[in-house]
Amino acid sequence: MVVTAAVLAVVAILLVVALVIVTVRYRQALAQRRRGLNRDTRFPERLAPDIEEKIRLSKKQLETTLDAIADYICVISPEFRIIRVNRSYADHVGKSVRDVLGEQCYRAFLDRGEPCADCPARITFENGASARKSNVTKRVGNEQRVYEVETYSVSGGGAQIVNVIERIRDVTDERRMNEQLMRSEKLASIGIMTAGIAHEMNNPLSGISGTAVNLLKMPAKYGLNEKGLERMTMILECAARATMIMKDLLRFSQKQDMVRMPTDMAALIPKAASSVHIPGTSRITRIYDFPEDLPRVRCDPSKIEQVIVNVITNATQAILEKRRSSGNASADEEKIHVAARHDGNEVRIDIEDNGIGIPADMASKIFDPFFTTRSPGEGTGLGLSICHRIVEEHQGRMSAGTKEGLTTISIILPVGTDPWNDAEEREHTRESRDRDA
Amino acid sequence: MHRILVVDDEQAIRTMLQDFFEDTYAITTAASGAEALALLDREDFDMVISDINMPGLKGPELLWMIKERKPGIKTMLMTAYNVDDYIRMAKEYNISNIIPKTVPFNYDEVGALVDGILTERVFGLERYLLPEGVVENEYRITSSDDGTRVREELASIITEKFGSVTDIKLIMDEIITNAIYHAPVGKDGAPKYREYAPVRLEESEHVFVKWGHDAEKYGISIVDNQGRLSMETVLYKIDRHTRGEGMLDDSGRGIHMSRLFADRMIINIKAGVKTEVIIMNYFSHTYRGYRPLYINEL
Repeated sequence: MVVTAAVLAVVAILLVVALVIVTVRYRQALAQRRRGLNRDTRFPERLAPDIEEKIRLSKKQLETTLDAIADYICVISPEFRIIRVNRSYADHVGKSVRDVLGEQCYRAFLDRGEPCADCPARITFENGASARKSNVTKRVGNEQRVYEVETYSVSGGGAQIVNVIERIRDVTDERRMNEQLMRSEKLASIGIMTAGIAHEMNNPLSGISGTAVNLLKMPAKYGLNEKGLERMTMILECAARATMIMKDLLRFSQKQDMVRMPTDMAALIPKAASSVHIPGTSRITRIYDFPEDLPRVRCDPSKIEQVIVNVITNATQAILEKRRSSGNASADEEKIHVAARHDGNEVRIDIEDNGIGIPADMASKIFDPFFTTRSPGEGTGLGLSICHRIVEEHQGRMSAGTKEGLTTISIILPVGTDPWNDAEEREHTRESRDRDA
Repeated sequence: MHRILVVDDEQAIRTMLQDFFEDTYAITTAASGAEALALLDREDFDMVISDINMPGLKGPELLWMIKERKPGIKTMLMTAYNVDDYIRMAKEYNISNIIPKTVPFNYDEVGALVDGILTERVFGLERYLLPEGVVENEYRITSSDDGTRVREELASIITEKFGSVTDIKLIMDEIITNAIYHAPVGKDGAPKYREYAPVRLEESEHVFVKWGHDAEKYGISIVDNQGRLSMETVLYKIDRHTRGEGMLDDSGRGIHMSRLFADRMIINIKAGVKTEVIIMNYFSHTYRGYRPLYINEL
């Protein structure tokens, strides 16, 4: 896709260059002729109809090609006025092609009052060389998008640059993917490196502090006086401080265990549920109810998956238990209903089943370690207490309730910051990541 | 006087251990596995304490070779690295004790362990408390109801004295439940009691719990007189869960989590006679976060 688009773009740019040259030459020729200076027989006073037709056709081809390109392309004059744009460009700035023409490119695209400081078009106008600016940003809706601008020169008859063609590419998604990849790789390697260094430092630190302790405990053995003891205490304190730094580093690197990333619950929950295989579950209907605009939740997906697996397993077992107790002839349709909704800065996930239920006086105990309603061998009851711990680690909450034959386990997770939803937040996250960790 | 060989490529570590223990034991040091093996050819030792990560022969390989030559010798590993990373190795090389090189080095902790292993007196919470430490209460659990009562009483005492105890409650639940329901077996070798069913234990099945503290930590010991646990089983379970292979299965998760949540867990086993699990938590951060491996099977 990217390659095809690039080829298309290059072809289009060549076409534009050709057309602009032809047009410019044609105009020069006409002007010369009007001044009676025409010596060029290639441009007669009036073009032959077939040539005019060819130019029209060529123009049509060019326009169609340009409009087929998703990149935003415009041709500008030395005053930065737009003299030609493609459909994508006009659509992107939310105007008709006609309205864009004549506007300054910086105003049309970036809503600026003057050209950018390191405008690539200016460079191209000055020396004819192609130029590139790769971090042009602007806010679209509530999102900061990143563009790459490349400029190509169109020269007239002589060395003078008559026009510049700007090709603007939206690289936001590409950058995101690359950055995410780089960040996760970088973090992973930093984590491994940090853990290695911290442990490596532990060895000499243990030697330093262990020796200092010996000197403090048995000063006579080393012939140490008061002053020496004092200094030894200093050494020990320094070693303790260094160790604290090392432990912090280790904590940071261990944070890799708990990777938090914006996670789509509507994708995670069915995936987690599908990994629950208990005989007899095929009759149980699973219903998912997720709103379209459910925000992504910043969490450790593998840990939250573990929570969902646990809760769905419990719900399934509760239904099977009810089936057994009613002699395999349950009147109701057996179902697990999973609904998520966005509430303020939280996402609430309700997992509801019509199984055997939790007695009302037990509801408050189900998150206690070893509370279980299962028969021996079916579970120690540790599951929900671990879930609770995981959810708490995410600054979330878990609750349970049974009402009219329906048992609901609710998991409430803070949405957290999705760095890609908000560019300022992204900057902030980047700056404060080390500090947070 | 017991003879101990200390093997470590870090001179400061060798010297400090020698300095500290030379009044109690006859200490010899070696800077490498090869040097240690050469020394062992000439001299007898009661115990070898070796670093894990050394140039040349690594600690586990060294201990393996030593045990092949002199089966009766006691061994211990020590590391400045994360003990969790060595659980699989411990399982493969039959390593029961890995002491962490804490900062500062915890001579009291290591001293208690070394003494216990050398003298084969590893049982008893008192052994692991500092000299001025006290055992506050002892309980005898004779039924499942007793188990619940003791757990709750201990949890409330510890909450009151030392603050939040979510983790210690979880650990006690797991270990006491194990001692009541998993330790006693019938003639066929299968568990005698159905898990979580109300039971009244026979006298030989009673579970003994005590708790105590010293200036730096508190500890709880849980003893059953069955001795059904083995080092092999414990290592197998901890290894599986440490590597995340047992995520969705219950077997051994409790013991893994107890090790995870407690600052120290010591498991003492005398096969067919007695199993003791000791859990200790430190008051300050100094010795936290190391998670050593202490299993003593007599």
